[in-house]
Amino acid sequence: MKDKVEQLVDYIMKKCLWQFHSRSWDRERQNKEILTKTMQILCDEPVEKETPTDKCYWVDAVCLADAFKSRYAWLAAMDKVEIKLLMQKLKDRMDYLTVTGSLNEELNDPHY
Amino acid sequence: MPYHEFECSKCIPERKKHAVIKGPGEDLTSALPLGYLNTIPGSISERGCAYCGAKHVIGTPMKDVIHMSHGPVGCTYDTWQTKRYISDNDNFQLKYTYATDMKEKHVIFGAEKLLKQNIIEAFKAFPNIKRMTLYQTCASALIGDDINAIAQEVMDEMPEVDIFVCNSPGFGGPSQSGGHHKINIAWINQKVGNVEPKITSDYVINYVGEYNIQGDQEVMIDYFKRMGIQVLSTFTGNGSYDDLRAMHRAHLNVLECARSAEYICNELRVRYGTPRLDIDGFGFGPLSDSLRKVGLFFGIEDRAQAIIDEETARWKPELDWYKERLQGKKVCLWPGGSKLWHWAHVIHEEMGVEVVSVYTKFGHQGDMEKGISREVAKKLRVPYLNAHAYHNGPWKGYEGWVRFARDIYNAIYSPIHQLAFVDISKDEIATDTKFVTQKILSDGNVSEEVKSSNELREYTGKYDNLTTIREKTYPEYPLQKKLSVV
Repeated sequence: MKDKVEQLVDYIMKKCLWQFHSRSWDRERQNKEILTKTMQILCDEPVEKETPTDKCYWVDAVCLADAFKSRYAWLAAMDKVEIKLLMQKLKDRMDYLTVTGSLNEELNDPHY
Repeated sequence: MPYHEFECSKCIPERKKHAVIKGPGEDLTSALPLGYLNTIPGSISERGCAYCGAKHVIGTPMKDVIHMSHGPVGCTYDTWQTKRYISDNDNFQLKYTYATDMKEKHVIFGAEKLLKQNIIEAFKAFPNIKRMTLYQTCASALIGDDINAIAQEVMDEMPEVDIFVCNSPGFGGPSQSGGHHKINIAWINQKVGNVEPKITSDYVINYVGEYNIQGDQEVMIDYFKRMGIQVLSTFTGNGSYDDLRAMHRAHLNVLECARSAEYICNELRVRYGTPRLDIDGFGFGPLSDSLRKVGLFFGIEDRAQAIIDEETARWKPELDWYKERLQGKKVCLWPGGSKLWHWAHVIHEEMGVEVVSVYTKFGHQGDMEKGISREVAKKLRVPYLNAHAYHNGPWKGYEGWVRFARDIYNAIYSPIHQLAFVDISKDEIATDTKFVTQKILSDGNVSEEVKSSNELREYTGKYDNLTTIREKTYPEYPLQKKLSVV
């Protein structure tokens, strides 16, 4: 499982732009919203996309889910419970790398 | 922490945390240099000031504006000879530059009168231009000239004009980045919401953090228009002052350079609820993903896909011609702002070159996080590529990315590198060898199959590919008068 999580982290780090917003509260929200919606897409669950804000997160989630499915064949062999666990571990790892373990001293600046 | 101390910085220990070597197995929690720091004097300390970051990077790309600096004439140095942010109105903002020409006597006696006289004179000299941006400099800030008051006085006397005041003197931040921040916040505080735009599409965006370097903005706007999207404003390359006052009416902010313009996107999100979508116009993959995301947001992904398919079919064989010849070439990246992280991975994937180091002059730690996370940086003996203000652009868009590959190819395989090894004062010059061309040099290691390929070809676009775009007409998508974007 750890190896799988690292493969997904590697993809996000190399290909995405949404995980490095400038403040910790932004990064937490980005990680939570986009990775939750990605998990819902991968598990065929309904996704909130009625407001412009949700729609914007959903857009990144659609592209991420497509990329995961096309690049990582092992994903197709996992059941929904396993995918949920995988995505939770992915979110925990992203939170660590970009928020709680980050060395970026500007993350907690109270203003934009 | 794998900090790296350069030989030239050994006598400046305060710089110790300015560089890292990221080794195998290390991640962002163990390798990140400091950023957004005050300059520490010594070698390699040149940077832009906060005034430069506000005016010369973000303010001046606005095309229909008199950009006036209240300070010594030298502050206006950066214009057509150093800056590449062109515009479709004959480059008005680059051709003319304005300063109040403050001298010692003004420092002693004040320069407000001089400022007012200059503003009025400039408007009279260009009667068709009714908008002005006014920039504080170190000199005028230190003597306390109230430029807001003067701007208001002029606007009261000349109601047809509008003036934006940017209070970002050179000392107002550690580098140009401090000025980016100040002008973002000043613009949204003073000007956004002052103009109501005419909405002509169901899909309305602001294109933010794009400065039209050599036409990049125009290439991207072409894609959006082909999708039937109304680009309300561009912040700020080739952008119009009044369009930028109407930013609050967009449905989506599409952000290119987060380093210079995320502040206004974040504030637009907080104040007006407009979502921020980060995109990337460099590279076939990132650009295609970006167009697809914008299409998905508005439910018109089929239009995005049509553009992606058409452009990829047209330009991919040319990109691949260069990729075959650039495989394994090592480059250091020393670009401006967002290109650091936009290029770090895709330049390897799509052109075959190896990125061995990334560098930023005014980036924050967040920028280094983005760059470092995409590449293992290691210092080797390699030539570097300086691509901050390019001259052969546009480099954005599908065709632009091929032009970029062509420029890297031209640089790497230029015969000058061979000739430079010869010292004509003492070396014997061979007269029996023929002149070596780029293709002779580049094709030495290329397989016969690639060389004789009928599919791959060198760049076939025109030197000027902007005139065609400027003359284009676009399909009409009637307004459906939807109440909501979603």
